[in-house]
Amino acid sequence: MINATIPRLAIKGLTKSFGGVRALSRADLTVHPAEIHGLLGKNGSGKSTLIKILSGYHAPDEGALEIDGRSVPLPMPAGKSEMHGLAFVHQNLGLLADATVLENLIAGDHERLNPWRINWRAEAARARALFDENHLSLDPGAVVADLSPVKRAQLAIVRAADRVRAHQSHGSAGLLVLDEPTPFLPMDDVSELFAMMRRLTARGVAIIFVSHDIDEVMEVTDRATVLRDGHVIGSFVTAETARGQIVEAIVGRSMTTDRIVPALAPASGFTIRVESLSGQTVRDVEMSVAPGEILGLTGLIGSGYDEVPYLLSGASPARSGQLAMGDARHDLTRMTPTIAIDAAIALIPADRQKAGLALDLTLTENVTLPLLGRRLSGALINHRLLARETAAIMTRFAVKAEAPGQTASELSGGNQQKLVLGKWLQLGPRLVLLDEPTQGIDVGARREIYERIIELCAAGASVICATSEFEQLEMIAHRVLVFDRGRIKAELSGSNVTKSAIAEACYQESGFHATV
Amino acid sequence: MRLSELSYQAERFGLVVVWIAVIAVFGAMRPDTFLTWSNFSTIFGSEAVLVIVTLGLVIPLTAGDFDLSIAQTLTFTSMLTAIMSAKMGIPLVFIIPVVLAVGALIGVVNGTITLYFRVHSLIVTLGVGTFLHGVTLWVSDSQTIGGVSSALMQYVIIQRFFGIPISFYYAIGLAAVIWYVLEFTSFGQQLLFTGRGREVGRLTGVAVGRVRLLSFVASGMIGAIAGLLYTGTTGSANPSSGTMLLLPAFAAAFLGATCIKPGRFNAWGSVIAVYFLVTGINGLSVLGFRTFVQDLFYGGALIVAVMVSQLISGRKERTL
Repeated sequence: MINATIPRLAIKGLTKSFGGVRALSRADLTVHPAEIHGLLGKNGSGKSTLIKILSGYHAPDEGALEIDGRSVPLPMPAGKSEMHGLAFVHQNLGLLADATVLENLIAGDHERLNPWRINWRAEAARARALFDENHLSLDPGAVVADLSPVKRAQLAIVRAADRVRAHQSHGSAGLLVLDEPTPFLPMDDVSELFAMMRRLTARGVAIIFVSHDIDEVMEVTDRATVLRDGHVIGSFVTAETARGQIVEAIVGRSMTTDRIVPALAPASGFTIRVESLSGQTVRDVEMSVAPGEILGLTGLIGSGYDEVPYLLSGASPARSGQLAMGDARHDLTRMTPTIAIDAAIALIPADRQKAGLALDLTLTENVTLPLLGRRLSGALINHRLLARETAAIMTRFAVKAEAPGQTASELSGGNQQKLVLGKWLQLGPRLVLLDEPTQGIDVGARREIYERIIELCAAGASVICATSEFEQLEMIAHRVLVFDRGRIKAELSGSNVTKSAIAEACYQESGFHATV
Repeated sequence: MRLSELSYQAERFGLVVVWIAVIAVFGAMRPDTFLTWSNFSTIFGSEAVLVIVTLGLVIPLTAGDFDLSIAQTLTFTSMLTAIMSAKMGIPLVFIIPVVLAVGALIGVVNGTITLYFRVHSLIVTLGVGTFLHGVTLWVSDSQTIGGVSSALMQYVIIQRFFGIPISFYYAIGLAAVIWYVLEFTSFGQQLLFTGRGREVGRLTGVAVGRVRLLSFVASGMIGAIAGLLYTGTTGSANPSSGTMLLLPAFAAAFLGATCIKPGRFNAWGSVIAVYFLVTGINGLSVLGFRTFVQDLFYGGALIVAVMVSQLISGRKERTL
């Protein structure tokens, strides 16, 4: 079990804080040559901070890095990681869709290419040899946009592997970091990708495989390391470890979070029903929300839960679906934001900076936009009245700002989000759709936002909250639906809505996933 | 008054102060030629067309689109007016609605191509403008056409109030309308969100496509108004009349966005910017500089204006 050779990568005591919050705390990680090493953890566990330190995006506060036994100074200068035999494939793959396979393959390969003359014929021949060696059927002349998702992933990985091999300055096969390359791939394609990874390790390449999906980690890795709250919880030899142990390491023996939502009381009004909803990922989903209920939606990356708020509010087009609110039925394939607003539906999007607020406009302009032509009818704008309305909302939602006339960009994230909440809740919505409502917001402002949401339910509105934060659901959700590959795979309600129960459900072996 | 409020007011009226300083400097150097009412009334009257073209740009710019075709809309509608009036003898009451409709149609073409084919408006309007110039040269046989009905000149340049030709008051009137629309109507807010937060606007129920289309129609119609006034100012239509107005109008629109309502394209800022620029050019030519100063001045002003607006927004980011 203990590999006597020098590790390909050894990290010791890596620490990084952001504004007083420790994202990574004295983390150690050892990866052996020819090993596939899984890196597991929830959102915010420190996985991506660790990877971003390796790629040179973040400078660590403390810590040492050794590659093949030689010490590498940190911070890693940006773009220099390949010189040390490290290459990264991120979830978005970093390919230019309009360019050909060959153009993408050689993009950025400055060391090897003659900048004054690219010999395209020789490069194409070299690419074919590279693809043959990796058993890939890729055509160097094909345009990346025409490739299937798995072919694109293969191209990104083979490019990274080629790059570290070209730079093998000290005679080692290098290390690839694959950061969530699989969530959007069908099962068969995932197996194909795993076969490719094994062929690479057979040549001595080491791979760090970052994933949310425990099944995939169990299937493909030799060892795995789990991070939680910035700490390394432990490293395991995958074959000798039970699934449950890994889940427990990821989730932690949870202390109970304060559940602040009161039990669901029967309220007057109608239950809102969603029937046969399909979108990009979501497939034939049914759900219902009672008046006064907070329904949480969650799942792993790519499971599709985060698509639901946008489909219900007409922000993105649904392939099919019906929304029934009392007597009114809405065809979701024809839903638009205007229809949604008139039907008393409010969407609070996750992307505050682009979709929530126009940052260079004033607080008044942002808050009162939905009122114009609605509650404030008539063509004339009364600036004083609008400023008064805005000031009232700022007080009600405890937005800390100087004046309604300042620009939204000057506010902190928490205050911006409270302003967005105020903008929508002033309309008195019956259905409120939230996507990651507390992303990037400090603890105090979070609490205030939860309180506003609970107040809203007490007044009889229905809330659907899509989030990847299980604690949040434990605190405020009456009921939680867990998504997997576009479908609902579990439902938890009442006292069963706990952080660990949600995590269990998310990481539970999915029926769709076969082990090879 | 707090310091930040003071600096904001300085920013709002900075260009006005610079304008007054420019007048003072040239006035001190050439009191008897530059600093005369007749010189200023000429400036105010003859540059009214430039003011109107600039105001036409403000609307699509607010909605986040460029209308490079506006100058050729002016040329084309000006030529159309001259042909209908001088060659066909059609009375003005019929010419005006036809010309406005043509301007609106050009806007519809610009808007439809931009929205339906999702091409950047910069490219679409560059192409449409060049195409219109070709049509203008074709229908006019590349000749200046004169002999336009004197009624048009009467209502554009001959009648004066306080010694200033009436065209100046049309420009001021249009500025007042655009100021009102941007400042006090829902449509003004919709334009603003379409330009500055298109996704926010869309999710809040703003029909951003329709708003963009209407902004092209508005700039097309304002281009047509400028075409009518241009013909009335000279009594003739010249197939290259608009070409020299496009860059000055952009320079003035961007320079105007640094004052009165800093950081936003706005009507009164645009008016002040036009007159600041033409005052500078007039003063330099009174001092004896030749025509090259125009290009130096307009080109320089456009670049300085965009640098200043970047500085304004950059400073806001730093105070976060």
